[in-house]
Amino acid sequence: MAGFSLRPCGDFRTTYRQDTRIFDTTYIRNAAILGIFAVAMIPFVLDGYYVNLFIQISYFAIAALGLNILVGFTGQISLGHAAFFGFGAFASAWINNTTGIPVLLSIPLAGLMTAAVGMLFGLPAARIKGLYLAIATLAAQFILEDFFARAEWFTGGSYGAAANPVNVFGYEIYDDFSFFYVCLFFLVVMYLLGTNLMRTRDGRAFVAVRDHYLSAEIMGINLTKYRLMSFAISSFYAGVGGAMYGHYLGFVSAEGFTILLSIQFLGMIIIGGLGSVKGTLMGTVFMVLLPEVMESGVSALSVFEWASSTAVTDGLAYIKEMAIGLAIILFLIFEPDGLAHRWQQIRAYWKLYPFSY
Amino acid sequence: MKRLIAATAMVATGLSFSAAQADDDMVFVGHLMDITGATGFIGKFYADGVRDALSYVNVNGGIDGTVLDSESVDYAYKVPQAIANYKKWRSRNDMIAMQGWGTGDTEALISFVAKDKVPVYSASYSGHLTDPTAKNPKTAKPAPYNFFYGASYSDACRAMVQWAAEDWKESGGSGKPVFSHIGDNHPYPNAPKEACAEYANELGFEVTAPVVVSMKPGDFKAQCLTLKEAGTNYGYLGNLGPSVVSLVKSCDTVGATPKWLANIWAGDYETLKTIGDVENYVFPAMTSFWTDEGVPGMELVREISKMSDSSGEQFRTHHYIRGICSVYYMKEAMEWAKANGGLTGENIKAGMYARQDWVPAGLEGVCMEANWTAEDHRGINTVNIYNGSAKGGDFTVTKVNTVTLPRRDDWLGY
Repeated sequence: MAGFSLRPCGDFRTTYRQDTRIFDTTYIRNAAILGIFAVAMIPFVLDGYYVNLFIQISYFAIAALGLNILVGFTGQISLGHAAFFGFGAFASAWINNTTGIPVLLSIPLAGLMTAAVGMLFGLPAARIKGLYLAIATLAAQFILEDFFARAEWFTGGSYGAAANPVNVFGYEIYDDFSFFYVCLFFLVVMYLLGTNLMRTRDGRAFVAVRDHYLSAEIMGINLTKYRLMSFAISSFYAGVGGAMYGHYLGFVSAEGFTILLSIQFLGMIIIGGLGSVKGTLMGTVFMVLLPEVMESGVSALSVFEWASSTAVTDGLAYIKEMAIGLAIILFLIFEPDGLAHRWQQIRAYWKLYPFSY
Repeated sequence: MKRLIAATAMVATGLSFSAAQADDDMVFVGHLMDITGATGFIGKFYADGVRDALSYVNVNGGIDGTVLDSESVDYAYKVPQAIANYKKWRSRNDMIAMQGWGTGDTEALISFVAKDKVPVYSASYSGHLTDPTAKNPKTAKPAPYNFFYGASYSDACRAMVQWAAEDWKESGGSGKPVFSHIGDNHPYPNAPKEACAEYANELGFEVTAPVVVSMKPGDFKAQCLTLKEAGTNYGYLGNLGPSVVSLVKSCDTVGATPKWLANIWAGDYETLKTIGDVENYVFPAMTSFWTDEGVPGMELVREISKMSDSSGEQFRTHHYIRGICSVYYMKEAMEWAKANGGLTGENIKAGMYARQDWVPAGLEGVCMEANWTAEDHRGINTVNIYNGSAKGGDFTVTKVNTVTLPRRDDWLGY
């Protein structure tokens, strides 16, 4: 049984090819493919609310994976991820509005533009690290936020920019039902790219830079090159996620990309698991669903007479906001390695049951 | 374990009871509010007004017998959460109208609500929500299903500038009066920036470069010195509460005391009370005040207020009263819709155009006469202007003028 479902005790990988597989076993690979098909069924089975939640998860998850490549894999830090996310949204709208390039193409192009901007702001990473780098990236957040409000030619200034819906062969994708599949496509492609990146020479260089930059340099890894590259890739992901967000809403406003969103992105990767691709997705799902679950908890209470007064509903609203913060703190204390680690433990538990050693 | 089962059973019973209550004669109206987020401190007043008015309508017969099933959700000024809620209400509750709140969420929802045909009554008074057909070439995106009760930020600012031009003459000022826009570089303070500056220019003001002041309170003496050097006579305050309070106080310290023209959210009794010492604090209001006497509609407002305050003594700001007006225009449009083809979003929208010089029944003297048309969503183009002053704990608010603006085509959606 264990042969096809789980890797048995001991590690039997004898070639590099086996060592760098995306999926540990064929069973996991098939399960993943089946999972994607199951997710593709969501719009047929569940209502618009769930479809919207999936769409939210997908654009945030893409951007969060970018941040995880930078923070989790390369060991750099960025407090300006929301600004890059916003830049992608504006860039895609701008490319599509000014040149008429179809939205499906303008999304990756916006990612490239964001990558260029990300490299610009990542330049200090060549010389500084840690807290100093955190502050440098924080500057990116403020500079870009200000840029959004001022650069009327690019963002429409405080008015914001209109973003056209995705257009496939002359068919406009207005509704969530169709946009869901655009998101699923981008999510799968970007996550596959992300996973593959970690199997390449460059991906391994990132990890080496993270684990010990001095050893990495002695091994012949060009630190500046890889740090910059990491910033570029991270911003590319943020740009693509942001562009999807912009085209989904049909409108991009400068006020949506604050430092709070940057911190939320950090929350996603910390809760999911630093340096884990699937953890990023898990963390994003957690962060998107938590307020919704809290909200439905609060509204479930409203069937009781005592909970329907304004004072109680207002009180519950505050509790809801605080609970989100509390959940993050509890995660940091009890599950610092994130949901990905917890998932490994659950798997190990079933595999080794009843002998947990 | 037994307790858990008992609790689950209780919740399940409660849920099935509420499901059983839902019958055909009930329609869903969503209510997005911000009481814990960035604009929570004024959002709370407005939200209370909306909630109380919705409950009052239900207690008193609903929409000609149809109950308004509503849910108030605090989205904490986070756009994705606002959208998720909107989608939830749309797909699960078959929402037919919505009471919204801020600039970010309202603008993000424009295309969704237009497609789903759900009229949205927001408290974002951005000028570009007023062009339903994109008649003005400057309008990037038409907003056919967006309504708000009140003058747009741009119109309110224009009205105050018009008042300022007269005030300048009356107070014997010579030469060109100087006008400055003061506010954060943010969509909300910026909304009327150009529109207002253009009109000020037109009326013969000298318009200085805008002065950027953070939305968060702080020490703004440097900006105040800029105003002093520029010789500003009339300063438009684009920010909100605490930021405005610290700005006025900082300027008082450095001796920069122009006449302040506050935007609608920054002018109320609460702000005046917090500033403590100020003269010439001019602001617009779209309703009468809680303390006004002899206003016939105020009786209904006081009854509505009792929905959350049974003593009826709690002071309510004019933001609260504006929330009531917003609900009552929606209520009467719904009544029209019910009598003319049924309660659908499309009919409610048509109901908004059905009347001229429209004041909701029972709110005479509180809500102003409004006119919405299929081509022009500037419901109100009249602005009541008040002057507030505070000294040593005493503060007074007096009406100084009522300005009716022309419905210029080039001002539509801008």
